Amino acid sequence: MSVSKDDLRDLYAGRLGWDKTKAIISGPKDDDRFETAVEVLQEQVSWPERILMPLREHLYVVESGGERVVKCDCGHEFGDWRRNWKLSALIIARDDEASLEEIYPGLRRPDPALCEVREFICPGCGSLLDVESVPVGCPIVFDALPDLDTFYAEWLGRPLQGVRRCEDLTHEITSRWGQAEL
Amino acid sequence: MTTLENRPDSDRRGDDGTDTGRRGLGEGGATLAEMLAQRRRQLTETGCYAGITDPHVLAEDPVRAELFHSRIMAALIAGRETTRLVSASPFVREVAELAIGIYTPEGDNIAQSIGIQVHIRCMGEVVQWMIEHDYEHAVGIEAGDIFWCNDPSVAGLHPADVYDLLPVFHDGELIAWVCTVTMEMDIGAVSPGCMPIANVERATDGIRFVAEKVGTEGRLRHDIELKIQYSLDMSDIFLLDRKGATAANLKVADEIGRMIGEFGLDYFKTATRELIEVERRNQIARLRQRTVPGRYRNVVPLEYYMADQPVSWLPARKDHIRLVPIEMRIDGDGALTLDFEGAGEWGWHPFNATPSGMWGGFAFTLVQSIAYDGRANLGSLLPVDLRLPLGSVLNPEDVRPLATASIWAPVIDIFSLWCAMASNAFFMRGFREEMFTYRGGSGMQMAGYDQYGMRRPLLAAPTGNFGSGATGVCDGIDAGGSLITAEIDLGNAEIWECFMPYLDLGRRLEPYSVGWGRFRSGACVPTAAMLHRSTQTIAAGVVGGAAEFILPNVGLGGGYPGGKRFNVVMRDTDVPARIERREPLFHELGHPAHPTYEMLDAEVTHPHHMAPPMEVNDHDILVTAIGSPGGYGDPIERDLDAIRVDLDDGLADRQIAEDVYCAEVEFDDAAKEWRVDPQGSARRRDAKRAERLARAVPVEDWWRRSRRRLLDHDIDPMLSEMYASSMRLSEPFTTEFKEFWALPEDWTPGEGRP
Ligand SMILES: [Zn+2]
Repeated sequence: MSVSKDDLRDLYAGRLGWDKTKAIISGPKDDDRFETAVEVLQEQVSWPERILMPLREHLYVVESGGERVVKCDCGHEFGDWRRNWKLSALIIARDDEASLEEIYPGLRRPDPALCEVREFICPGCGSLLDVESVPVGCPIVFDALPDLDTFYAEWLGRPLQGVRRCEDLTHEITSRWGQAEL
Repeated sequence: MTTLENRPDSDRRGDDGTDTGRRGLGEGGATLAEMLAQRRRQLTETGCYAGITDPHVLAEDPVRAELFHSRIMAALIAGRETTRLVSASPFVREVAELAIGIYTPEGDNIAQSIGIQVHIRCMGEVVQWMIEHDYEHAVGIEAGDIFWCNDPSVAGLHPADVYDLLPVFHDGELIAWVCTVTMEMDIGAVSPGCMPIANVERATDGIRFVAEKVGTEGRLRHDIELKIQYSLDMSDIFLLDRKGATAANLKVADEIGRMIGEFGLDYFKTATRELIEVERRNQIARLRQRTVPGRYRNVVPLEYYMADQPVSWLPARKDHIRLVPIEMRIDGDGALTLDFEGAGEWGWHPFNATPSGMWGGFAFTLVQSIAYDGRANLGSLLPVDLRLPLGSVLNPEDVRPLATASIWAPVIDIFSLWCAMASNAFFMRGFREEMFTYRGGSGMQMAGYDQYGMRRPLLAAPTGNFGSGATGVCDGIDAGGSLITAEIDLGNAEIWECFMPYLDLGRRLEPYSVGWGRFRSGACVPTAAMLHRSTQTIAAGVVGGAAEFILPNVGLGGGYPGGKRFNVVMRDTDVPARIERREPLFHELGHPAHPTYEMLDAEVTHPHHMAPPMEVNDHDILVTAIGSPGGYGDPIERDLDAIRVDLDDGLADRQIAEDVYCAEVEFDDAAKEWRVDPQGSARRRDAKRAERLARAVPVEDWWRRSRRRLLDHDIDPMLSEMYASSMRLSEPFTTEFKEFWALPEDWTPGEGRP
């Protein structure tokens, strides 16, 4: 069973209607979903770079100038997908009572001595890309590092141009920041 | 078929009384230990369950195969209903916290009924533990034998889950096991009795059955029945649950006999094993179809507040937090690894996980999120590797000395966050409708004299009050999101009131429990119980999740985690006077910054999730407000009409609509309806984006400030100790932590600053 492009577009937008949505939720999963999704999303973005993979709301891994970079639908680029994009974003760190109360009033507020709620904002469009709630002092979480080459070559059977080793390169950023501290 | 009527008098005799010459109970006279060793060897050598490299028997006749599987499932589901009908406990009858499964002679799960999907592997681990401890010869295993196990150092998630195991024989050969689990209200633990927190050593955990043979010929031993009657306050409930479980097991065993008559023994043996191997392959196929290979991460803080617990093992009396990093790796071949490198150390509290408990947590999460086609069994778990550092809070070197009343607590938090990780994988593959999170909840439990004058544990455990997380395509479900038991139910308030000396003051969806987002999570139902007609009661926390002051990281794609959960205890209330004056009582929470209960004249406290025992009296009120899991997407992108509907339904208020969703809303007093202004909302949302850009700083600036705090040891001492604990156990964690913050080689977390 395949889901049509129109239905998938509406499903993602939350306007497909419950009957059809429920059928997709409960039905057998479609083998060509990824291809349909990439087609739908490619049509929705205003820039020409090829989408290799949707990463999360607003963000895509795209092929840009021979590199694979994280790009917002607004056009802002965050750099190589192997470096945690969050380090190249803007942040609102809710680490005191007043800033936490804005979201979590009264009895619903976490304790700022222990908990930091980090909001990662796109510098291009001001979208809230991620909310990270972790203990104070915890390194930023690198949510997802997709193995693009294995995926395209072994799972889809159509390898990408120019293999890139799938490894976490976030330390390149933090070590540069660390150099400046010395 | 060998059931009770034609049981062999020795394992050497077949149904016709001739000497079979068998050494062991297994296939062709093999011992169970030999069979178990062979299964393990075959899996290692071939990568396939039972060495089945070419499963073909089921595929050759799919109609027959389908009939076969349906018969097994029908038998199991009927067995489960049998237990419910015999049982008297509201856990079993109202909440339906039970399940029944069928296992190979080696303890490998073939199929499991609907119901709580935690114990698929755990109950089989008990069988394997018995085999490894030579029960075949040292204890004896015969048709009609009843074995009980509720010791988590053998398997399981807490002693309140009691496993009933029945071996099934055919012609002198042990061909299967049938196992039922029910959760018990009373297992004779220290007060408050079912999942006590003030409980750090095994003896206070309650009565334990270490895979004991408690009956023969389908009958419970008289001395065991007496032991229960002398050990438990609610022995009648316990024994009725057991009778229900035994009846169900025998019923399923009989059905297996009929199936062998129809399908033949060879088909039964081959088909049941192929069901496991085929499911192993299906699990890999599902993962390859719905996810993307790669590396996924999250972190789980576990908060343990034990300093004020009245326990006599004094080293237990300290508050501490443990960090559990989770790394999920999905390989090209569809294998899944969950690596917990960096998990902090175990401690003296009843909330250490165990490998068995972690498998239990993974089992129910996997079944509800990926392997939900009704064919889940051990095969679903075979392509998975859990790496649990020895000595950590997930894998203490020796569980036996420890209390284990709530292995659930860390397990729920860990696998709820695993759902968020899996959701990222589903998103990348395009399956946004599969995204999902859930969250544990803690509350208050009691012990004391009920309204009939009986002293007993007083745990009410409605599971239907959780809101579920948002998906990537729609809101979460209000009050229906407990992943642990899929067929959840709040139960009838009136039934709980019959069992508990309290009156339920209100059951209303709570808007501020919600995780905000473009799609919001479901809302939770807080509980408010007013004590009624008890002569003496203590209340204490009950922990179904170790998160308290740190919100779990379950927001998806820009959505927020739901708010902090909390307890409220109101003592010496003016409720009697209010009733006298016919004035309103408190029925819903209202706004969390100025809750409606403030109208009562009472002594109010807000104990944390591990509330130590306290005395409570008639008209005192215990409130538990749990928090929902995650919303999905930027809340200021939420559909305006959805906001209007939430307002009209009381699932949002003006503050939420305006401050969180940034919508321009007005209440139409004449029509008694909310109106949302699209232009005004667009302006608010543009302003919000501009405000964010003005307020936010580059992560590099924040990184420098946070790094400075670590260098100055300017963080809470409990967090310093949390990081130190992970560093004591893990070199890779230490290296990566220092690398991320560019800390000097000789840096240590220090003492912290209160
Ligand atoms: Zn953007």
